[in-house]
Amino acid sequence: MSRSRRTFVMLAALSLGAACSNDPAGSAPGPRAGTLTVRLTTPHGDDGAMTFELRGPAIDTAMVVDPSLRLFTRRESDSRVVGAVVGPLANGAVIRLQVPDVSAAGYTANVLEVADRQDVLRFSLEGYALTVAP
Amino acid sequence: MEPRVPKALQALLVLLAVVSASPAFAQQPSTGSWRDAVRRLRDAAIVPAAPGSAKKRIRSMRAGGLRGLAQLHAAAALNATIAESEPNGSVETADSVALGDRATGTVDPAGDVDTWFVDLAAGQLLSVDVDAFETGSPLDPTLALIAPDGVTLLAFNDDFDDLDSRISFRVPASGRYYVVIRGFGASGGAGLTYAINFGTVTCTAAGTEREPNGTPATASRVAIGADGSGEICLQADSPAGDVDFWAFTAQAGTTIELDIDAAQLGLLVDPVLALYASDGTTQLAFNDDTDGADSRLQFSITTTGTYYATVASAPGSGDNPFPYTLHVRAITPGPGDPITVRAEGLGQPLGLAVGNTGDVFVGDVVGNRVLRVSSQGVVTIFAAGIPSPEGLAFDVFGQLLVVSGDGAVYRVTPQGQATRFITDAGIPFWIAVAPDGRIWLTDLSDRSLRRYSPTGQFQARFDAGVIGGFGPGPLAIGPSGEPYFSNGTEIWKLVNGRPQRVLRDPFVLWAFAFDVAGNIYAPAPVAGRIKLFDATGAVVADTFAVGPDAPQAVAFGRDGTGATVARLFATDLRVGHLIEMNPAGVAHPGQPAGFIPPPFTLEAAAAGLLGAGGLSAADAQLLDALGNHNGRYDVGDFQAYLRTVGAIQGAATAAAQRRQGSDR
Repeated sequence: MSRSRRTFVMLAALSLGAACSNDPAGSAPGPRAGTLTVRLTTPHGDDGAMTFELRGPAIDTAMVVDPSLRLFTRRESDSRVVGAVVGPLANGAVIRLQVPDVSAAGYTANVLEVADRQDVLRFSLEGYALTVAP
Repeated sequence: MEPRVPKALQALLVLLAVVSASPAFAQQPSTGSWRDAVRRLRDAAIVPAAPGSAKKRIRSMRAGGLRGLAQLHAAAALNATIAESEPNGSVETADSVALGDRATGTVDPAGDVDTWFVDLAAGQLLSVDVDAFETGSPLDPTLALIAPDGVTLLAFNDDFDDLDSRISFRVPASGRYYVVIRGFGASGGAGLTYAINFGTVTCTAAGTEREPNGTPATASRVAIGADGSGEICLQADSPAGDVDFWAFTAQAGTTIELDIDAAQLGLLVDPVLALYASDGTTQLAFNDDTDGADSRLQFSITTTGTYYATVASAPGSGDNPFPYTLHVRAITPGPGDPITVRAEGLGQPLGLAVGNTGDVFVGDVVGNRVLRVSSQGVVTIFAAGIPSPEGLAFDVFGQLLVVSGDGAVYRVTPQGQATRFITDAGIPFWIAVAPDGRIWLTDLSDRSLRRYSPTGQFQARFDAGVIGGFGPGPLAIGPSGEPYFSNGTEIWKLVNGRPQRVLRDPFVLWAFAFDVAGNIYAPAPVAGRIKLFDATGAVVADTFAVGPDAPQAVAFGRDGTGATVARLFATDLRVGHLIEMNPAGVAHPGQPAGFIPPPFTLEAAAAGLLGAGGLSAADAQLLDALGNHNGRYDVGDFQAYLRTVGAIQGAATAAAQRRQGSDR
């Protein structure tokens, strides 16, 4: 190999290496798939079932944190999923969402109905909240 | 012409007829609105019915050739014969007699009233005894005793000794008392003569009894297989009345029958019978009116020892003395004997149902509550505040339906929460649920059967008045899903909407149950035993089991999976027991309890909840009925649905949790 040709190969390798390196200062961030956790805040200790809605740019899948819970979901649109979770609900993580971009803003969740473990519907949802966070 | 009875009263009388089939109901109304109501009904029924029925009864007795058996006398030495002096139709014009006198007169013309007065001292036991029919007079007299105020009716008698009248009465205060004699039905005529013997009551030595025998210590003895005879006579020194104690020795394993004949001898009297344990105070059984006005009971002896039978006059049935014969017999126990008491202290348990976990539920009609008896015999309050729970049945979703004396059917969740479920029946009493989930009710207001959907929607009414008797009484679902119901002494079934008689029995039959072979287990409360019939109505065992007193309802047990088993339970209202027959004598398991899975998939139920549609209005209604029954399908209903189809938790876990929940 001639000297000039060896020099070209080295430069090409270096430039390729530079392109593949993680250079935060040097390029814009892309979408990052991952998991979000939906957490419940409840004023009661005997919740047995809940319906809820999830809103956000995109939700790939939803699954329960605790295997003793049963989850049923229906995708109403690209940005809204409604669901029901049945079982011994308590404060804390309830559902995990698989999303294409965990950094995307705008994921929210709301409680729609709650019943106690004796099937009685709660008259008031005061004190209930769902939060979505990584 | 008979007075026209308002329809509402007719309904109440029907109710009366039903409840009076239970001796405790008829004899022990004491406190509480329900019992008060029964007492009012009873009073209402008795007043208009008495004269006519009494005549029929006495005439039928006379046809039996039993005249002359009531030769009990009251008595005092005859002082004088006093002839009446007309006019004597009022207290102001009454003729005078003294104790020991014999008054004579004629009821003439029709409608004539003769009045006599006698002066008495407080506490005296007056006997006024008419001789008319017995001396060949065509007069059918009635007799009344009026207080010194000249107005207050103290006692009345129509027929005591055949058609002749008699009153025995202890006067509470010194004064002038009036005796009024009339012809029955305002009859009268020249030949209608009478004599009235005015005396004090004396009790003659009669039969084999040995007075005094008013306590266990002084009881007269009688052997099993023998008869005792005596007289119930209001003693001058015993204001509480006469109670005769009879002692006998019985061996464990023996089933004994006590049987009184008194009214059967042609007397219009009402004896009552009780059985006491060896301590002489613990009442084991009681009966009134099993055999017409006479009494009979059966009892399984579990401990060898001395037992006491008592004979007395029913409260309020008059103070006239009467003779009686007490038969003490050993009878052959049935295949369901011996019975076992599974729970005590249940108040007055009437209805009975077995849940899908094997727990037994009974309705305490005076405690206004439903009690649950676990397989270990632990009694807990399952639901309180249901007025007079009567019929009980589980629906196909595992919820308990309870007919209340307030006219509603309540539905009780497994957690014991009761809500009014069916409210459009007039006077519902008994309830049963068919395997297809449909609910059947008896309605005493119009003597009908009513059918409802599994979720409580009225579907159809079937007339049951055409079969006669009373009721419709207790109700059960037969082998093919058709309702069977009692009209008292008969069991009928509804075939293509028409009643067909299945069997007839001498005794009133109460809430009965079917086994898988179609055999019918039927309690006869007044007879104190449970009878077994085959599917055609033929008697298989006249005594299948001898209840300790008055079995009211029977139901087959279920195991932890909800399947029926060959165990038979019964309520005993008078003693507040849940009893079980000897399982060795129960040949088959009970009819399977109904269960219908909801007619849609789990996915459809979820989608419907989450707004995807796909469920019909009926589906949503059924789901709501499964759950909280608040009028719409919601997440609570969905949770109940998942539990029903086993999609959440294991059945055992869910059942345990339900038990825990309702134990609180």
